[in-house]
Amino acid sequence: MTELKVVGKPLPRIEGPEKVTGQTVYAADMQLPGMLHAKVLRCPYPHALIKRIDTSKAKAYPGVVAVVTAEDLPPADRDPSVRPHAVLVEGEAIFEGQAVAAVAAETAYIAEEALDLIEVEYEELPAVLDPEEAIKPGSPFTRRPLEEIDLSEIEGHVTVDISAADDAEAHRRSPNISNRLHFVRGNVEKGFEEADIIVEGRFDSKMAHQAYLEPQACVAHYDATGKLTIWTPTQGQFHQRNDIARILGLPHEKINLVGTEVGGGFGAKVAPLIQPLTALLSMKSGRPVKLVLTRREDLMNSVPAPRGIVQAKIGATKDGRLTAFKGRVIFDSGAFPAGTPVGATMMMAACYKFDHLDVEGIEVLTNKCGAGAYRAPGMPEVTFAIEQLVDEVCRQGGFDPIELRKKNVCREGDLMPNGRPWPKIGLYECLEALEQSELWQTRHQAKNGGKPRGIGVAIGAWPGGMQPASAMVKMNENGTIKVVVGSNDISGVNTSFNMIAAEELGVPMHMVTTITADTDTAPYAGLAAGSKTLYSGGKAVQAAAQDARRQIIAIASRELDANPEDLVIEDGVVFVPGTDKSISFQRIAGLTMGFGSRYAPVVGRGGEVIRNQAPGTTAQAVEVEVDPETGNVTVTRVAAAQDVGKAINRLSIIGQLEGGVTQCLGMGLTEEMIFDERGRMRNPVFLDYRLLTALDVPRIEAIIVEVPSPEGPFGARIAGEPSIIAASAAIANALRDATGLRFYEAPMTPERVLRRLREAGKAVRQPVALGEAAL
Amino acid sequence: MLQERVGQATVTVHVTVNGVPRPVTTVPNRTALELLREDLALTGAKEGCGTGDCGACTIVVDGRPVNGCLLLAPMLDGKTVLTVEGVARGGKLHPVQQAMVEMGGLQCGFCTPGFVVTAVNYLEQHPNPTEDEIRVAIAGNLCRCTGYSKIVDALLEAAKRMREGEGR
Repeated sequence: MTELKVVGKPLPRIEGPEKVTGQTVYAADMQLPGMLHAKVLRCPYPHALIKRIDTSKAKAYPGVVAVVTAEDLPPADRDPSVRPHAVLVEGEAIFEGQAVAAVAAETAYIAEEALDLIEVEYEELPAVLDPEEAIKPGSPFTRRPLEEIDLSEIEGHVTVDISAADDAEAHRRSPNISNRLHFVRGNVEKGFEEADIIVEGRFDSKMAHQAYLEPQACVAHYDATGKLTIWTPTQGQFHQRNDIARILGLPHEKINLVGTEVGGGFGAKVAPLIQPLTALLSMKSGRPVKLVLTRREDLMNSVPAPRGIVQAKIGATKDGRLTAFKGRVIFDSGAFPAGTPVGATMMMAACYKFDHLDVEGIEVLTNKCGAGAYRAPGMPEVTFAIEQLVDEVCRQGGFDPIELRKKNVCREGDLMPNGRPWPKIGLYECLEALEQSELWQTRHQAKNGGKPRGIGVAIGAWPGGMQPASAMVKMNENGTIKVVVGSNDISGVNTSFNMIAAEELGVPMHMVTTITADTDTAPYAGLAAGSKTLYSGGKAVQAAAQDARRQIIAIASRELDANPEDLVIEDGVVFVPGTDKSISFQRIAGLTMGFGSRYAPVVGRGGEVIRNQAPGTTAQAVEVEVDPETGNVTVTRVAAAQDVGKAINRLSIIGQLEGGVTQCLGMGLTEEMIFDERGRMRNPVFLDYRLLTALDVPRIEAIIVEVPSPEGPFGARIAGEPSIIAASAAIANALRDATGLRFYEAPMTPERVLRRLREAGKAVRQPVALGEAAL
Repeated sequence: MLQERVGQATVTVHVTVNGVPRPVTTVPNRTALELLREDLALTGAKEGCGTGDCGACTIVVDGRPVNGCLLLAPMLDGKTVLTVEGVARGGKLHPVQQAMVEMGGLQCGFCTPGFVVTAVNYLEQHPNPTEDEIRVAIAGNLCRCTGYSKIVDALLEAAKRMREGEGR
């Protein structure tokens, strides 16, 4: 390959100036003529039947234009077992906060007041809240027994082979189990017999929220022609359109989904959530309607990460070979299936070459807010378990944590738990890179006086997704280039597309602009989930740019009377090296768009289907300092290596790495949705659901590893998700290093850490100064 | 009903926004953020939480950064307000904005206006801050995408450029 001119450089986002000036329009910023404002009435019980709803007083309230309940939903092929289709409670409410009715009014205040005028009579039913109790025989049901659960969206999100799973058994189990996977290799009991060291434990990662700064928002307008236009931050506008068409019984061509700027999604803005309801209000009122969730509503009623409880056991020989792994993860998915076990069950045991393994993943439904996808769904939860067990093997066997992992990690050709060989991956290379990090090289200097400090290591892998994608690359009238895609940019990927097109066409960055068009006008693209947008969409952009390039070369060849093979493009000029024959893109544009022009306009088309995954892997180390008086854990240093195949835009990759690591540090330190005995979230404000601040997150030593993927553009592989996998486990291992104690629950809040230190007699000033009463 | 009462009672707020006097007649139970976003269509400041925890609605009132969501609109009467829309002048980005773009100090962009406004106000008063001081200054602004270091880098760079005379 010739030397790359654009790809591989660290470049700022093309939309940056718009964002720093506040000009970017998010859905909540929109105003349309005649627009109404919506508010939602939510069920006050975790599980109840609705006996009667009376909306007459609300409808009569001045300023109210429409009130809807489930009765107003148009006839359609809805599947109420999945969250997007459960637009409004149809008879049975299954979590506290589920939408029962909604009002559209002239102002948001009026809409909110009208909610109080809606009369609802409920019959409360027994609630199922504990996932481990929910799967026992005799447990009440989360809902009346369901038919088949539709997994199509889940399968589209993460593509792993589930054919090896004996999930048929799931159908014979409790209806509270929505999903079960089981992978077996070898004979796990025999594996433990071969082991000299066996460690086990029960690990519990609590429910966390994506906590994007932009609350869920939507504007919908159903016009007089029967056309529905929806403006909403979405990670997959075609996916949403497809779902909404089915949910509302509308033909696809009558829906235009306009993906607005996504103010953070991380998986929670994939499937429709409030969009069908907003649309319904517009259909009912005939006017544009805006619905924006409050932060409280968003924290309580969106699609957070499930809680993951892992019981697991690992065996190793005294020379440091991992022999066997047995693990079971129970995901508390709340009221709706999220498909979390589909990826996380297999990946729990996928990093290591176990001869014998037995891994099981169970998704349990409870009467809490339904879970969804959160960046590498389920992976921080299962990694919190297995990486602590591997660390414990190192402790007990006296092995260096990086050396032991290097000895045991999978490489190309080693088998995944589903029996398929790993493609080329860079996990080993990530460990090598971590070993060379400044943090690791200076790890022994860390422990000098003061509070206890420790360093922990953890690794992870994520297969990522695949989905066909298409793109268009066209020439503008002045010879500049426009890239048009249908994927939604949640990661700066449009800047990377810009770079790919510039590279392929031989033009500088400033001559190219990439836009995401709406579903009416954009070529199809899959959802921005599974880290696949650059991997699959980038390939389509590359193909479209190559197509446009061929057209440009063909025109130049005739105009310059030269062989196409002799032509070179640089800086937007086509020329024959060593001659004075040249023609600019601007001139070519003139030859293709004027009256009587001789050539067709340049429009490149790219459609690509990638059929092999390009997994991403990571190896991370975290240094912590523990305050033995308060239990507070401070993360002092982090090093994170990730294999991205090829960093198209290094600035963007570093941003993804630092951001993902930070989110998992939050899962490890502070972030937890706390529920009361009725399944209601007790901390639905950012004061109590605490995100890390600039004072909590240290500089992260981000290390880019590049083991090219065979199919991705320029060798790129997935990048967005792997960074979130490992840090909570690494914190726990660092705490073990610092205190000699294992921590089995995440987040490791000061309360939990102090309690554990006290149990072990390692807290400073044991209940003397504070007194027992303080606890 | 409340809304009717409120609808009848209006209040005129004499506020100067980004250097321009903007008398606004509005309902008294609005927040300052709603006045800016809805009455004046200045949607740069965002509502990320509505409870003063995230800083996405940060505006500068009489030289001090405040959460626009926690201030009632009538409290702006007689005050001078700077919003993100007033930071860039003459089509040229402020050094804070320029550095945020160049150095990866933004991703999804929803928290960005709050960071910009907070930082511009802070750096005007503290031209030579340390990294730790910058971290304290932006501790009231939450970002979910970046992990903060790129923002800190950008603000250190912006401070340097402002000292070298690029500020206004």
